[in-house]
Amino acid sequence: MSENYKFDTLSLHAGHIPDKETGSRAVPIYQTTSYVFNSTEEAASLYNMEVGGHLYTRISNPTVAALEQRLAALEGGASALACSSGMAAMHLVISAICSSGDHIVASSKMYGANINLLQHTMPRFGVNTDFVNPNDPEAIKKAIKPNTKLVFGEVIGNPGLDIMDVPEIAKICNSKNIPLILDATFNTPYLMQPFKHGANIIVHSLTKWLGGHGIAIGGAIVNGGNFDWGDKDKFPTISGPHFALGGISFWEEFGPSALIAKIRAEGMYNFGPSLSPTNAFHLMQGIETLPLRMKKHIENTHSILDFLVSHEMVEWVKHPDLETHPDHEVAKRILPKGSGSIVAFGIKGGREAGKAFIESVQLASHLANVGDAKTLLIHPGSTTHSHLSSEAMKEGGLTDDMIRLSVGLEDFNDIKKDFERGFKAVKKLNK
Amino acid sequence: MIINFKGAKTYIGTGGKSLDNTKKTLCFLHGSGQNHFSFIQQARFFAYKGYSVIAPDMPAHGFSDGNPCKSIKENADWISDLLVDLKLKNVVVIGHSQGCLVALELNRILKSTLEALIFVAGSNEIPVNQFLLDLSKENPQKASQMMVTWGHGIDGDMSINKWPGHSHYGEGNNIMCMNKSTALKYDLHSCNDYSDGIDAAKNVKVPALAVLAKYDQMTPLKSGLKFVELIKNCETHILDCGHFLPSERPVELNSIINSFLSKLK
Ligand SMILES: Cc1ncc(COP(=O)(O)O)c(C=O)c1O
Repeated sequence: MSENYKFDTLSLHAGHIPDKETGSRAVPIYQTTSYVFNSTEEAASLYNMEVGGHLYTRISNPTVAALEQRLAALEGGASALACSSGMAAMHLVISAICSSGDHIVASSKMYGANINLLQHTMPRFGVNTDFVNPNDPEAIKKAIKPNTKLVFGEVIGNPGLDIMDVPEIAKICNSKNIPLILDATFNTPYLMQPFKHGANIIVHSLTKWLGGHGIAIGGAIVNGGNFDWGDKDKFPTISGPHFALGGISFWEEFGPSALIAKIRAEGMYNFGPSLSPTNAFHLMQGIETLPLRMKKHIENTHSILDFLVSHEMVEWVKHPDLETHPDHEVAKRILPKGSGSIVAFGIKGGREAGKAFIESVQLASHLANVGDAKTLLIHPGSTTHSHLSSEAMKEGGLTDDMIRLSVGLEDFNDIKKDFERGFKAVKKLNK
Repeated sequence: MIINFKGAKTYIGTGGKSLDNTKKTLCFLHGSGQNHFSFIQQARFFAYKGYSVIAPDMPAHGFSDGNPCKSIKENADWISDLLVDLKLKNVVVIGHSQGCLVALELNRILKSTLEALIFVAGSNEIPVNQFLLDLSKENPQKASQMMVTWGHGIDGDMSINKWPGHSHYGEGNNIMCMNKSTALKYDLHSCNDYSDGIDAAKNVKVPALAVLAKYDQMTPLKSGLKFVELIKNCETHILDCGHFLPSERPVELNSIINSFLSKLK
């Protein structure tokens, strides 16, 4: 009892104890849509959120719940909810908090779909966002208006690798009673636990390092339980009477878990982006080795940084663990174990050189994902950010020659040899 | 609901239903450093089973303002006055932990109002070690964290929860953080100083139910079993969990309470 298990142990065990009936050591995949009620009274009280339990897999499922509880434990949160993708998590959380007429302050340097959702989709529903430089707490403070309902950013920005000064920004949000919501996909709880720095809500793309093997799409919202939703004028659908469940006040009934309760009762009910139990199982398999993998990801990243920084064909290298990175000091402070395994670099020769490099490496895979156990590469200018103009790319801290590298777990020397092959092709091109 | 009681903003959880003082009322009393969120899975459940429910946040706890009560007797007087203020008759008092001591004192004060007593993870005494008493003054947040860890059985450590996606530790810490920072100190001292439990327990005349926890490190099972011996005809159940029984075994607890209540006249 009360062992207060450490991170590595929780990664393996949290959320599941073998049941007495089967003794299954692995988390069983409860591949079911629904659950037999013992009585009509039981069904009624589950629907009415009087007690916890499962009634329909769109709302919750035992395998998915094991994943959620593992995430809550790893982040030190009050509760978590897993869903079909990182973007589903993002949309669920925004739509749970904001209504038409509300305002968001968000980082200008984020994953393309996060920007698109806030810049183009949400305004159609009356929710507008002002984008600000994530490294500028003063700018964030100035952007907050009376109708601002949340501040959103990525701890480590994709793909520009800007680091948010989470404690500073959390202080600002706290003083204005606005929740700070962070996309913590690139850091994972292994590198940094945002709640310890004052953040209130975390969204994850589990597709990336948490799942870690590029086999399943998934997302999650982890609720710190440390935000006061009690202002009925500001957060009427969380603390005021809600149409669901006879005018329930999620805040008064569920307190620290009000947000997750609301998302289950509204978002999962009415939008329905549920995670399949089988994918939850695959993602949990990944989490079991998260600490081991993250250690090796960081180790390989540091070796690759040394290699790239001194390479004659490399114009520039960007990673927050390098002293040359503008956010290096913040990174050292809030990400002492390392700032993730994404590296951005520019190849001498610009856009064409980048293309030639990507097309001639063999081991590293050219694809649109990050956080796989395998090394991945992409050229954002021609893929993820191709819809943005050069100016817009620059605003987001990107350039045409930039290659985004997601460092995998292969033997470093093999990655190095593969990259040399790519550089050789570029050299030929430059001749 | 929020009322002004004794000049202070006072929050009373009613399980999502408005209070109806013509019905039998279940009065849930939280433990040290807790608030109405101890009974998330009881208040709403029983409010929708035909009972009136009150789960007050004691002064300086949860959403309530005011100065914290400084003894078990003061807690009991406060509740007794509240029942009068709300014009509640036919009350079943359900205490958790410190709430059990308050319930024992209420048994002395309340006359015809009290119909039955339910003790959850309780005893007639709750001695608190000096280390925790000191820490609750110097660093209440740290003290709360330790209580949350000690207070849960294996489900806490392993992040097992009947409520999908919830963490006992994460939720427990935040529930305790909602209180004013002095609340815990006075609660723990109130428990430690209370010494009338044996007489109070022998004095219980109404039907009584005790639900104890096998792995309780705050009010150990041994102490709980001695306690129930002092009460005449106390129906006793033991569940395989830690001290935070209401959130660790909500379904089992609710079912035991439900069948006990159905046997009352
Ligand atoms: C930082 C970040 N957040 C969110 C997402 C979206 O995740 P998903 O693909 O699981 O929807 C991504 C995907 O690349 C990402 O990089």
